[in-house]
Amino acid sequence: MKILVPLKRVADPDNANKVKIPAAGDKIETTGLEWKPNPFDEYALEAALRLTENGQTPKVRAGEVVVVTFGPKETEQTLRAALATGADRAIRIDTTDDKLDGDLVARALAALIEKEKPDVVVMGKQAVDGDSNQVGQILAELLDWPMATFAATIKEEAGALVVSREVDGGVATMRVKLPAIVTVDLRIVAPTSVYSTKTAATFKYNDGVRFAALPAIMAAKKKLLVEIKLADLAADQALKVEYKAFQAPPARKAGIKVKDVTELVTRLKNEAKVL
Amino acid sequence: MSGLPSELLAAVSRDFPADFLSFDAADLVTYGRDWTQVLTPRPVAVAFPRSTDEVAALLRLCSAHDVAVVPSGGRTGLAGGAVATNGELVVSLTRMRRMDPVDVLGATVRVQAGAITEAVHQHTAPEGLTWPVDFASKGSSQVGGNIATNAGGVKVIRYGLTRQWVLGLTVVLASGEVLELNGALEKNNTGVDLRQLFIGSEGTLGIITEAVLKLTRVPEKLDVFLFAVPDLAAVLALFREARKGPFVIMAYEFFTEKCLARLRRHRNVKTPLSAPSDYYVLLEVERGAPDELEAWLTSLFERELVTDGTQAQHSAQAADLWTLREGISESLSATGLPHKNDVALPIPELTGFCAELEQFFEASYPGWEIALFGHIGDGNLHVNVMKPDDLSREDFLAKTHEADHAIFALVQKHHGSISAEHGIGLLKKDYLRYSRSPAELSIMRAIKRALDPRNLMNPGKILDP
Ligand SMILES: Cc1cc2nc3c(=O)[nH]c(=O)nc-3n(C[C@H](O)[C@H](O)[C@H](O)COP(=O)(O)OP(=O)(O)OC[C@H]3O[C@@H](n4cnc5c(N)ncnc54)[C@H](O)[C@@H]3O)c2cc1C
Repeated sequence: MKILVPLKRVADPDNANKVKIPAAGDKIETTGLEWKPNPFDEYALEAALRLTENGQTPKVRAGEVVVVTFGPKETEQTLRAALATGADRAIRIDTTDDKLDGDLVARALAALIEKEKPDVVVMGKQAVDGDSNQVGQILAELLDWPMATFAATIKEEAGALVVSREVDGGVATMRVKLPAIVTVDLRIVAPTSVYSTKTAATFKYNDGVRFAALPAIMAAKKKLLVEIKLADLAADQALKVEYKAFQAPPARKAGIKVKDVTELVTRLKNEAKVL
Repeated sequence: MSGLPSELLAAVSRDFPADFLSFDAADLVTYGRDWTQVLTPRPVAVAFPRSTDEVAALLRLCSAHDVAVVPSGGRTGLAGGAVATNGELVVSLTRMRRMDPVDVLGATVRVQAGAITEAVHQHTAPEGLTWPVDFASKGSSQVGGNIATNAGGVKVIRYGLTRQWVLGLTVVLASGEVLELNGALEKNNTGVDLRQLFIGSEGTLGIITEAVLKLTRVPEKLDVFLFAVPDLAAVLALFREARKGPFVIMAYEFFTEKCLARLRRHRNVKTPLSAPSDYYVLLEVERGAPDELEAWLTSLFERELVTDGTQAQHSAQAADLWTLREGISESLSATGLPHKNDVALPIPELTGFCAELEQFFEASYPGWEIALFGHIGDGNLHVNVMKPDDLSREDFLAKTHEADHAIFALVQKHHGSISAEHGIGLLKKDYLRYSRSPAELSIMRAIKRALDPRNLMNPGKILDP
């Protein structure tokens, strides 16, 4: 199986206090921010690796995992890390974040998919910076492929994937024929969430995404990483979404100490109005 | 019933804010002890001063009325140094957390001793500067406690002990007299450096109320590695290679699979390597030239010095790797009762010492769970003996207390220290003679008598007068 995994780097949410908005309020100040892969994209990569291996022998890949990102030269670090973790090949589409929206990313990915012809695109359900949750769905529409969103589990069958997502009060399971788009949620990296046809049903993965082994990190430097111009994939680069203004959330008010439970209950009732 | 002299109480209610003293039962337990779990706290009260003047006024009163005090910081100490077992008045620095603006030119900052270690890091970071005292308890420990214990930590191999990073101290003696020691001077060659007496004195010579801290630049990009190695000899063999590596070592730490197992019982942690290994090494380096680093790494695998390894790909992964090392101490206490020893050996002695230590464990604690980890790059081992489920707490403590004599005799034989960085406090007091000669002990007593003639300052800690 050949899988395409789009990756995006985001400002490290654990360093969220460092996100600054200039007085004009027209953008997020990105200088000095630390970057890390969007967590849902890391989960997508992990899912793709699990789908292209026998869990018992993770160094041998059955098929191909291609990772792609949109961004300037320095985002190649994100791609190299993915290659070290197990992806076979990487593509960087040269552009910058401020020239993109979900629609343009989806159109460019659709054009790339015409060339790459993957069996499935596994991607994060959303990026934790913009929280848009759009690219997977737009992409499925553009390609007219079946889609399964918010995947919590994926099981490979011949020519299809059985995908489950958590819904209110239960689990919805569907079967999508390949080629297809799958967007993943956080449970996808639980020990028994993803099974390729090669992995034994009794096999359990470590919880979470795998770390890159040192020999693989060194080998990754020699793996193929190509650059494509955004214009070569999307002639029309007009954006449909325009960010008008950014505003920091209001500062949290200082807490207060209450004397006893009675006072706590009174205040919760009368002031916080939550009881 | 407070147990404090009524004249002292009258003076306190006249001269100090209403919330200055607490007799609250919960406060007495909380502030009456540190991280150690084996002693019962019994303080008479807890005082919460806000300034050096208040500390001085309080100590004048205590000295007039013969009231013993226990200085208390973040209460993360591991030697019982901040435990009040004997009706002492606890003086908590918790309210003294003022931090002055950073002096960027001098690379210093003046803080009150109650400032939290990590708060100092956050305070100085925007200037690109840091106070390089760093360990797992930094979110609770205080500058005053760090100085009073001459704390070590995970970056000692790079920066040395707390002592290297203290320029000036304000200290209040038992008499209430205030000493200003060295100010913000880098150089001051004017006789005996009294400031050094208080660094590592565990609150037995005076209360540190303010400090001028020396800062250093925040390091460049750091690389964090986790290696799997088969045994302790391999931990040391890898250390030899790291010493010659093309980088500056920031930390060289080791731990065992047994420690990790405790960590996993307590909390959800990542599994970075594909298979478990008996021993692990965490190496953090300030980034050198990438090509040389790669050649160094390749040669480790070629020569089979490591069996597996990973490198953090971004800071969140680096934090995940650090959790495996820094979470251990807390998880041992959360999942059982550890008997902690914190010993230091000259690096060349480590191999011989550890071989004998293993024999000793087999003979003294057959089948017991020993959790071994530590700042091995500094020659520092944390030896944690876990209480077996079928042994009572009392029997366990009695047995380990006795066995410690044998461990410390071994430490002495290998020219090591019975307390690398945790201090002596109450817990290691009986063993001080394994590391200090009679002549040294009598000088230490003479100093104590000179500064605290009535033995009111953290009495009973480190040694008896
Ligand atoms: C999870 C964990 C990890 C740790 N890791 C390390 C480590 O890697 N390296 C290391 O060295 N330590 C370590 N420690 C031990 C401890 O955190 C340090 O000793 C720390 O410096 C103690 O600071 P504190 O403010 O908590 O002091 P406390 O525990 O409150 O007091 C320690 C001693 O200092 C005295 N004291 C406190 N404040 C003052 C003051 N203002 N004036 C005079 N005397 C005072 C007390 O009387 C007591 O004797 C660790 C502890 C924990 C719980």
